[in-house]
Amino acid sequence: MTQIGEVALWVAFILALWGGVLAFAGGRRGRGTWVLSAERSVYAVFGLLIVSSGAIIAAFVRNEYGYKYVAGYSNRELSLFYKITGLWAGQTGSLVFWALLLALFSSIVVWQNRRKNREFMPYVSGTLLVVLAFFMGVVLFASNPFQLMDFTPADGRGLNPQLQNYWMTIHPPTLYLGFTAFTVPFAFAVAALISGRLDTRWITTTRRWTLLAWFFLTNGIIFGMMWAYVELGWGGYWFWDPVENASLLPWLTGTAFLHSVMIQEKRGMLKMWNVLLILGTFLLSIFATFLTRSGLIESVHSFAQNLTISWIFLGFLSFLVIVSAALVWWRRDAFEPENRLESAVSREGAFLLNNLVFIAAMLTVLWGTMFPLISEGITGTKITVGPPFFNRVNIPLGLLLLGLLGIGPVIAWRKATGRNLVRNFTTPVGVALAVGAVLWLSGVRHTYALLTFVLGAFTMTTIVVEFWKGTRSRARIEGEGLPVAFVHLMQRNRRRHGGYVVHAGFVVMFMGFAGAAYDTEEQMSLRPGEQMKIASPFGHTYTLTYQAMSAYPATNMTKVIASVNVAKDGRPAGVLTAEKRSYRQREEVASEVGIRRAWNEDLYLILAGIDDINGVVQGTNPRPIVTFKVLVQPLVPWIWVGGLIMAIGTLVALWPGAEPARPAAVKPKLRVEKMVDADAELVEA
Amino acid sequence: MKKQSRFMAGALVLVGVVGYLAVTGMKDSMMYYYTPDELATKVAADPSVRDLGAKMGGRVVPGSVQYDARTLDLRFTIVDIASGRTTFPVAHNGPLPDTFEEGRDVVVEGRLAADGTFQATTVLTKCGSRYEAVEEDFRA
Repeated sequence: MTQIGEVALWVAFILALWGGVLAFAGGRRGRGTWVLSAERSVYAVFGLLIVSSGAIIAAFVRNEYGYKYVAGYSNRELSLFYKITGLWAGQTGSLVFWALLLALFSSIVVWQNRRKNREFMPYVSGTLLVVLAFFMGVVLFASNPFQLMDFTPADGRGLNPQLQNYWMTIHPPTLYLGFTAFTVPFAFAVAALISGRLDTRWITTTRRWTLLAWFFLTNGIIFGMMWAYVELGWGGYWFWDPVENASLLPWLTGTAFLHSVMIQEKRGMLKMWNVLLILGTFLLSIFATFLTRSGLIESVHSFAQNLTISWIFLGFLSFLVIVSAALVWWRRDAFEPENRLESAVSREGAFLLNNLVFIAAMLTVLWGTMFPLISEGITGTKITVGPPFFNRVNIPLGLLLLGLLGIGPVIAWRKATGRNLVRNFTTPVGVALAVGAVLWLSGVRHTYALLTFVLGAFTMTTIVVEFWKGTRSRARIEGEGLPVAFVHLMQRNRRRHGGYVVHAGFVVMFMGFAGAAYDTEEQMSLRPGEQMKIASPFGHTYTLTYQAMSAYPATNMTKVIASVNVAKDGRPAGVLTAEKRSYRQREEVASEVGIRRAWNEDLYLILAGIDDINGVVQGTNPRPIVTFKVLVQPLVPWIWVGGLIMAIGTLVALWPGAEPARPAAVKPKLRVEKMVDADAELVEA
Repeated sequence: MKKQSRFMAGALVLVGVVGYLAVTGMKDSMMYYYTPDELATKVAADPSVRDLGAKMGGRVVPGSVQYDARTLDLRFTIVDIASGRTTFPVAHNGPLPDTFEEGRDVVVEGRLAADGTFQATTVLTKCGSRYEAVEEDFRA
């Protein structure tokens, strides 16, 4: 039965290759039927990949351990949920999953454009099919999930305990959704290059795809941080690990792209730059996959060093780089800008600076990540660079960005006048200085933390003022109540207002990062009944009393749980538990931390060591000595809240109907919108 | 045109600052990555290499692990994966990583003390479990 999946994959691979050739040939020679046939093969590939992925999932659910992939990532005791997610638990399956997602997006694109953008579509579907064929080719020739072993073990090896976590099951798919969705604007950029139509059409038509890709990529990265925070067990959420960096690279260029396209839409500038940014974003997402899969760079979560895969990826990457560069060179005369930069103090100037910051961050992260390879290539000795390098460069860049976030959206296009600057920035600067003064007086002396709050307050105020002005003028003109006016304001020009919300989330998240400057940590060995204390930077003290240790068996493991009573300044504040899980199938231990989450900080409890853990498991020693490590992590909850606000903002911008494309049917309403527009212009002018 | 050159000047300043930060950041966090064989050779040739600090990738020698769950003191012997010859005793204080076990490949970061013990500030285990050849595992 399961082999149907492999047959389907072969057919899909051949169809994708054939369809890809047909699409490009049909486009160049103007053969409509060829193009149509290629577009149909996109749907067929999607159908076949559903069959193939379904077969893999079925093999997991039916415990078919003759398959190497199933045996390696599952066992009989594993819950149904983790068996289904087995599709993307390992290298080979996740590549099939990747192709499935891409095929889904490709089908949607072909369907959306069945009657429009016809001059682009041959090259769009051609590009999508080539990328699809590549991923399926990797699976078939280098990493086949349908590979049978020459014997069938009675049970599988089970899933790595660290992956048996909710965030870990949704983190990879979310990231893949982001990477694959960026293929769509990439394909349109290629189509624009080949067809020579380099106006804004390819950008406006993929605007929502770009936002969707950004939405998934951003959330994928944040989910990964959440996973690291609860599962890696030392209170951190970002380690500048190569694999993390790899996912950050396309995010940085993608975010730059999201901003610079606005300059092209409004002012007809930066045409070549935008093409380069989207090409770069796609190339970097392929590069990220390559880096993750090849095991070329030492990483905590590297996959096995697989030379075949490395070479295939490297080959494809070189192919893409050469083709992209050749296309851009070929069309080099078609990028003539319609306007020029009139003043550095303008929205264009702010956006250009924003782009510069993102690119600088991307290049330094890339440099630091690749440095072990570069140094080994040149000097013969591997030299690694650690977090201090990444922090030294990226914290100042992040702070610069935080300030730009407040300036960019409100500064005037073309050339800001002194009056424009004074009117827009007096209040925010005042608020920022006040916040800085209050923090200074309450003893905050850490430079970066202080700067984060001051710049954050500045940016937050500009956003609030923007919303306030818009809401008030709308309420006045429409005669609406303020809440209604606010909702209507959000509905109009959603990209702009959604963008402000994303910026607000970004500010909140950065304040969460700044909390790390005030982390505190205590470590102590306790007998049952004994206490330890830890002070919070907010001034209060936690007292933790080690109550008891218990052991009990669960489905596929034995849990050893330490329970601790928490008191905050002497008042009871709940119970925290921290566990060690001993998995029966894999002879591995996994620690589970206990986290007490408050609005302003996390109390983070690590069960660092148990004296005589065997005695606890066997029930002979119920009162072991335990070593706890306790951290107070100020403002960490704000990181997740900021992420959530960013997600909501992106959804506001993404929601269908954002463009006011309706014809002028209702006249009075149009008049009002015009007046609100005029007001917005006034603010900008 | 003058406006554009002013913008370019600003951009150059930014690039310069980032470059300066990157170079100083590199100097502060650069660390040689050795195998036990390489570290032994380097130190034999020039004892001052000790003071630089390094990362070392090797394998935990079975039977060598001593861990005090109260003080969180960890001691084990690391051996060169390729040659299996050079060994170093490693000392570390901190919670035992979940995936740490005998025979596992680890990366330690720290410096080689005068008594020949590698004082590690961090011990990273490679998540080999996820990626080992499954078949070998079953045969064993």
